[in-house]
Amino acid sequence: MVSSQQNIADIIGREVAPVVLAKEQLIAVPSPFEEILPGAGLQRGWATCVTGSPAGRVFVWALLGELTRSGGWVATVDVSGINLTAANEVGLSIERVLVVSGAGAKNWAQVLGALVGAVDVIVYGNPRHRVQPSTFRKLVSRCRERGTVLMQLPNGHDAASRGLPVEADVSFDVRPAGWSGLGDGHGRLASRAVDVTVSGRRVPGRPRKGTFMVPDADGTVRSIPAAPTSTVQDPALSIVR
Amino acid sequence: MAAPQRVACVWCPDWPVVASGIPAAVPGAVLHANRVIASSAAARTVGVVRGLRRREAQSRCPDLVIAERDLAREVRAFEEIAAAIQAFTPRLELTHAGTVIFPTRGPSRYFGGDHALGAKIHDAVHNVLDDRTTCHIGIADGIFAARIAARHRHGSVHVVDPGASPEFLEPLSISTLGLPELVDVLWRLGIVTLGAFAALEAADVLGRFGHVGLRAHRQASGLDEQRADVSDPPQDMEVSIEFEPPVERIDQAAFAARHIAVGLNEKLERRGAACSRVTVEAESEHGENFVRSWRHDGALSVGAITDRVRWQLDGWLQAPPQIRPTGGLARLVLRPDDLIAAGGRQLGFWGGETEADQRAGRAVARIEGLLGVNGVQLAEVRGGREPMDQIELLPAGSIDLTDRRVAQPDVRPWPGQLPAPSPAELFSQTAIELIDAQHRLIAVNGRGEVSGAPTYIRSSGKAWRRVESWAGPWLLDERWWDPERSRRRARFQIVDEHGQAMLVYLEKGSWWLAGVY
Repeated sequence: MVSSQQNIADIIGREVAPVVLAKEQLIAVPSPFEEILPGAGLQRGWATCVTGSPAGRVFVWALLGELTRSGGWVATVDVSGINLTAANEVGLSIERVLVVSGAGAKNWAQVLGALVGAVDVIVYGNPRHRVQPSTFRKLVSRCRERGTVLMQLPNGHDAASRGLPVEADVSFDVRPAGWSGLGDGHGRLASRAVDVTVSGRRVPGRPRKGTFMVPDADGTVRSIPAAPTSTVQDPALSIVR
Repeated sequence: MAAPQRVACVWCPDWPVVASGIPAAVPGAVLHANRVIASSAAARTVGVVRGLRRREAQSRCPDLVIAERDLAREVRAFEEIAAAIQAFTPRLELTHAGTVIFPTRGPSRYFGGDHALGAKIHDAVHNVLDDRTTCHIGIADGIFAARIAARHRHGSVHVVDPGASPEFLEPLSISTLGLPELVDVLWRLGIVTLGAFAALEAADVLGRFGHVGLRAHRQASGLDEQRADVSDPPQDMEVSIEFEPPVERIDQAAFAARHIAVGLNEKLERRGAACSRVTVEAESEHGENFVRSWRHDGALSVGAITDRVRWQLDGWLQAPPQIRPTGGLARLVLRPDDLIAAGGRQLGFWGGETEADQRAGRAVARIEGLLGVNGVQLAEVRGGREPMDQIELLPAGSIDLTDRRVAQPDVRPWPGQLPAPSPAELFSQTAIELIDAQHRLIAVNGRGEVSGAPTYIRSSGKAWRRVESWAGPWLLDERWWDPERSRRRARFQIVDEHGQAMLVYLEKGSWWLAGVY
């Protein structure tokens, strides 16, 4: 009797289990960044890699702004010289950021493991120690199960940017594309443009590119519409006969 | 509708402070998650009130004695008081340590009326308390009215006549309800007394404010919080456990508490029910019987039941010898009361407590275990002139993640602060060299004049990079009165040939890298 009831309950449970829409598996990003991401958001469970420091950091903070404003949590693990004032300025709600430091080589895997499923995005500085691909693969599969996004940041402004121990779902390459506001002995840094290239096995077709102001002179984050292709060509190149 | 039950409420104010062993004459406060949750009378006279942060409290009263909250300790200390009241009536109900509720119909008849019963209990409790704190007793129709009556008249017994609870509650402020969000809305609607709220139609209140509102409405109307038609829980709902050998130690009891609470919760869940009151009954190996009920506003979760069972067992096992069980505990029974339909606990939609916050809180606890208290931190905005001063990182374990206020942006001006954007990465003790076209180190004189235009820059040991654009100096002369923390710097912003922006400064003749943008 009990077992048949149990069976029925199981069947009903399976049948009425809520369908998870692909949209709900996405972490919303601020609207300027939607165009460069497949699906217009960060897919939960992705393992991503950001190269290009320190512009890459500011790009990540701006990208996660929407998530923290809507109640999501971000954790940073061993990100050297982290300055949350800069994060705050580009829209990250810093009261929803757990800053973990001193994980080192010994506790790195345990700390990340504890954060998987507890926060929405784990941003970790490129570990100085070697991470076994098997350890990392285990971590990635847990993230996929629990819907946590991994983001690797380069540590130190001149550190060689090492990739993930396994192939990244998505890589963001962030390059500075010029500052404005600073003159020759006058002015001040006011706005920064960055070129972002998004590639990886989860990005169908050619890598996506975009140019963003993080931040613009008025403190906002916005995208710059791509200029017509003719002007994008490097002026230093000319046809050689 | 059945008349509300006549109940008495015995309330010992500042119980967390008393339980922590701080004498009444000493200013003391008990903190939870860095905020004051209770303070002694001496501390209140100098302005240490609930809700203050540790630092604020200490600044108001530098010799404040501070204790961390320990719920088990509070219950343990309260066991003595509960035992004194139990001499008068067996059916005690605790909501938390410091407050006891019991129905008075039987005992009042036996001891000669509510007033006589109140006076007797007051004397008995007063003897046990030994001037550590006072004791207030309120007797009224319904739990809410009794609780308010106990808080209403200080120093003695306050009896609200049968049937007079609505009139007693009518003139009181709406904030007596203790639901800040609801009270705030009602206040803005112009409903400022409980009487005015009670005068609204119950159906309208339900439609507008849901079950929370309806419950508050019943309280304000002097009715019982729970519907009176709840039938007795069936006997098969109780969960019991036999100990062989009998349990004498707290850790064994705690383990049993968890086990039995999970068992009870499973039974309740199978029926789609939850309980808002649980009776803990223990029998010692010598046949002594101990019974105590715990009530909670809303449904008790597994964790809440576990905690209460643990506190209670702890309280019994560590009570003063005359009321302690003479042997180990041989049997433990949990009996759910006041069954309500389990609607699942609704978590906050925005603000308040959300599931995400709880999960983050658990992760914090685990990482603290791995890396220590400072291993995981949360940022708070502070004012400051330099980038590293503008944010302070605090141990996340000292902050209650589920009950946080959004960090308020610091709107006060900080003259000398560099405007946004701020450096993305900060450096400490990173020496650089900055030279002009003639390869002379750049210097800044006391008037803030630069010796030449910065032309090349390098980190020590690296290649020279050309300076594309620069600005500065922004002078900073902070805390000149404090030799340890004083700072005198000339700051520059520099963009090098790779388009890399940097914040550098000159201090005592050397150049340093503060951060990169």
